[in-house]
Amino acid sequence: MLTTVFLLGLLYALFVTVLFLVGLKLVFVLVIAFVLLFVQYFYSDRIALYSMKGKIVTREQAPQLHAVVDRLCALADMPKPQVAIANVDMPNAFATGRDRKHAVVCVTSGILRRLDEPELEAVLAHELSHVAHRDVAVMTIASFLGIMAGLLTRVLLYAGLFGGFGGGGNRGRSGGRGGGGGQLAILELGMLLFSALIYAISFLLIRTLSRYRELAADRSGAILIGQPRLLAQALVKVTGEMSRIPTRDLRSAEHFNAFFFTPALARGNGVSISTLFSTHPTLERRLAQLTELEAQMGRTP
Amino acid sequence: MKLFDVLLGRTKPAQPNLDHLFGLPGAQITLEASMGLRPTGQAGVCFKPATGQQFAATASEVEQLLDLGENTKIHDESDSYGYRWAVITDDDFGDLINEVHIVNTTLQDHGWGPQLLCSVFGFAPIPGGAADPAAATGAPKVAGTYLVYLYKRGTFYPFVPLPAAEKRDSDRERLLNVTLAQDLSMEPDLERWFPLWGLPVH
Repeated sequence: MLTTVFLLGLLYALFVTVLFLVGLKLVFVLVIAFVLLFVQYFYSDRIALYSMKGKIVTREQAPQLHAVVDRLCALADMPKPQVAIANVDMPNAFATGRDRKHAVVCVTSGILRRLDEPELEAVLAHELSHVAHRDVAVMTIASFLGIMAGLLTRVLLYAGLFGGFGGGGNRGRSGGRGGGGGQLAILELGMLLFSALIYAISFLLIRTLSRYRELAADRSGAILIGQPRLLAQALVKVTGEMSRIPTRDLRSAEHFNAFFFTPALARGNGVSISTLFSTHPTLERRLAQLTELEAQMGRTP
Repeated sequence: MKLFDVLLGRTKPAQPNLDHLFGLPGAQITLEASMGLRPTGQAGVCFKPATGQQFAATASEVEQLLDLGENTKIHDESDSYGYRWAVITDDDFGDLINEVHIVNTTLQDHGWGPQLLCSVFGFAPIPGGAADPAAATGAPKVAGTYLVYLYKRGTFYPFVPLPAAEKRDSDRERLLNVTLAQDLSMEPDLERWFPLWGLPVH
């Protein structure tokens, strides 16, 4: 999964570079990038729901689920998001939508079946915290900034190259053509490597940001329900179930991991690297935070 | 929400606003005059129990405070959503409001403000009292009439469940909303008028 996402991003960066080399105007490339961002930003709710086959449910269709969300929203003083159920047996939940008014909280039928009500409430509190923290907007913009950083570095490099060599290149054009072409090719190769490096760094940073925001949502969710223990229970239950499910079924969902309650991927080997790259903190890290919270709440009001 | 909080993924727990509870005596008069409703003498404070010994101490402190009143009864109930209710019975409506206020401030003083969900006041038709405009049109019999106070918003909304399972009388709720608009700050966002099925208050 990791290589897939990494390569996809690399492909994107290479694609943009190739667009440059083919001679497309910078403005045009920027417009494409912005269109991608806007689509992602304004249709995140629909894209995520569609890909997970989530269906918005009315109060009549799922009174119990609505009642839990109603109460949590009243406690947190936030507008109620739409509620959706995805008919998938994989136990999971996700929140999407660019702001509080367009938010959707989706749970799978698998999680409804496996968790009891207080645990489900804890999971929903976690997802509502994502909505309150505006995580979809932040992550969309953050990943865009990563791509933009790569783009801009290249633009600067180009400007440096042609600004610096431009005069000399024109004057000595007839004389040293063969040598100049070779030099340019090496420089272009260097640029490609450089943009790949930039992308790699932003990839790591975005992952770090995502893990941080998961912990933040855990914390706010636990404080909202007042009982961190319940969220910990739900996490253990769901994670235990997740790793037992064959990887093949999960592959289709992996691209949307960033907003899931628990990521849909089997634990790989090489723990240190996978922790560095994953969108979610390890179960141990999340449980440790919740245990600490639980202890704090026991001590002081 | 501040930009900095968005970036850091922070939300502050919402704190309750209790001031509007004291608009209720005016609402009582309006309800009696125009809807033929009077308080049942029962109210409920609904909150989400949280972890920790401190909380247990607070709950018993509330009970001690309220047991001082002679005509006052209080009992604890849990609902199926994992919320707890302190149900207070007092025939004097003014006292009842005060007691609800005490329960809330006690919980708030101990830092449990964010755990408060709502307070509910029960109303019932006066037997042989002023004509209820809704009843005159042959509207269905209701299982109860409630005013729900949302702490975090500082607003009220009416909740009128029907005897049939999980149905509410929206017409009557809207009528109550219009009637009370002068006396109380009513919740404008209808999405937040969530139903409280099976609430332990009469």
